[in-house]
Amino acid sequence: MRMVNFRASYNTGRLVIVLAVVLLVGFLLVPTHLQQIFQQVGSPVGWVMSWPLRAMDGVKDGLINVWNGYVALRGVEAENRELRKEIEYLKGQNNQLREAAAATARLAALLEFKQQANIPTIAAQVIGRDTGNWYRAIILNKGEADGLRPDMGVITPAGVVGRIVKTTAATAVVLLVTDPNNAIAGVVQRTRDEGIVEGTASGLARLKYIPMLSDARPGDQVVTSGLVGEFPKGLAIGTITKIHKEDGGLFLSAELTPVVDGEHVEEVLVIQSLPGSGEGKRQGTFKEKPTS
Amino acid sequence: MWSALIAVLVPLQSVLLPSVKIGGAMADLGLVVTCLTGVLGGELHGLLMGLVMGWVMSLFSVIDPVVAMGIKGVAGYVAGFAGRYLVALSPMIVAIGMGVLSCGAGLATALVLSLHDVQDGWWVLRVVVLPQAVLDALVGGVLYWGLASRYGIERWRGEYRIS
Repeated sequence: MRMVNFRASYNTGRLVIVLAVVLLVGFLLVPTHLQQIFQQVGSPVGWVMSWPLRAMDGVKDGLINVWNGYVALRGVEAENRELRKEIEYLKGQNNQLREAAAATARLAALLEFKQQANIPTIAAQVIGRDTGNWYRAIILNKGEADGLRPDMGVITPAGVVGRIVKTTAATAVVLLVTDPNNAIAGVVQRTRDEGIVEGTASGLARLKYIPMLSDARPGDQVVTSGLVGEFPKGLAIGTITKIHKEDGGLFLSAELTPVVDGEHVEEVLVIQSLPGSGEGKRQGTFKEKPTS
Repeated sequence: MWSALIAVLVPLQSVLLPSVKIGGAMADLGLVVTCLTGVLGGELHGLLMGLVMGWVMSLFSVIDPVVAMGIKGVAGYVAGFAGRYLVALSPMIVAIGMGVLSCGAGLATALVLSLHDVQDGWWVLRVVVLPQAVLDALVGGVLYWGLASRYGIERWRGEYRIS
C-alpha cells in the first residue's frame, strides 16, 4: 500500500516539476506587460502579508530598544555616576581656580602697591568681623607677634581702610573709616582744604570742618593729609557726594563715599610706624603710580 | 566642655554671623549662651559664663573688655536668678525673657559706651538693640526648645534649685 502511494506521489511530483518548468519557461516567454498581471494579482496578498511583517518589525524594534536602552546600558549608569562625580569635582576645582586667580590678582596689586609706596607695610588677611553690633570693625590674622600695634593705619591699594584699635598676639582689630568713632585727618585733593573724616551712622563717611569759603564740590577726592601719625599724605579716603553747611554755621561738611568697601575687603596692608613720625608733623608722602 | 563651647562660638560670631545679618544686626551668641547657662545652671554659672564670654568676645571687638564682661556677667546672673524663681519654663517664655534681657543689655551697653553723637538713642534702638533682641530671642528660644526636646533639662534645673 505504501509502495503504491509512494509511486503515485512520485509520479505526481515529477508531473508537478515538469509543469512548473513549463510554466516558468512560458512565463519567461510571456511579454513584459502581461507579467504585470501577476504583480497586480499579488498586490492584495502583499498588503495582507505586510501586517505580520510590520508587527514583526515592531517587535524587533522593541527588542532592539530594550536591548540598547536597558540591557546594553547596564554599564552606562555606573559610567554616568562616575561622570557626574567628575563634573562635581571639576566644578569645585574650577571654583577654586577662579578664587585663586582672583586672590592672585588682588595680592599682585597689593605687592605692586607695597613696592611703589615708600612706606614700610605688613600684609595681612581679614579673618573676621567685630563680634558685636556696636562698631564697624574687621579682624586681621596678624597681631603683636608680627609687629602690629594699636593706632597703625590700615590701607589697600585703593585707599584707607581704617586703623588698628586693639591687638592680641595673633590678631588685630581694625576700626573702619566708616565707623562714627573713627577720625582721620583728610584734605580735599583739588582745593587743599583740610578737615576731619568721620564715619556716619549709615555706613558712609563725612569730612567735617571744611572752611566756609571752600570751593570743594561733589566729585572731589578726599585724601589723607598726613597731619597725624597713622597715615602718610595722599592716600585716597573717598569721593565727595554732597556738601552742606554744618549746624553751627562756621564750617561746611561733605558727605563721602569711601573708596574702600571695608565690609568686603579681604587683604590689607598695615602701615608700620613711619620714620620721623611725630604729632603735628607732616608724614612721608605716598608716591602715586606715574601715569604715562 | 566650656572651653570647646567658647572655641566654637567665637568663630561663629565673628566669621559666620556677620554674613547673615538681618536688618543690619546679628544675634549675640555669647549673650544667648550666657543667659541659657544662667537659666539652666544657676546664678553662679551664669555670672562666670558671662564674664568669660564677655572677655573672649571683646578680644575680637572694639568694645571695652570690662564693659563686655560686666554686661554679660550681669545678664548671666539675672538669667540665673530668673531661672531659679520661674516655676515652669517653655521655649516661648525663654524667648521672651531672652528678648527682655537682650534689650536691657543693649541699653546698658549704649549707656556705658561713649558712642559718637550720630549714634543717638533712636539709632541705638533702631539699629542695634531691638533687632538684636529679636534675633537673640529667636535663637535662645530655638536653642532651649532643642535642648528641652532632646535632653531632660528640667531635671538639671531641679538639681540646682534644690541646692
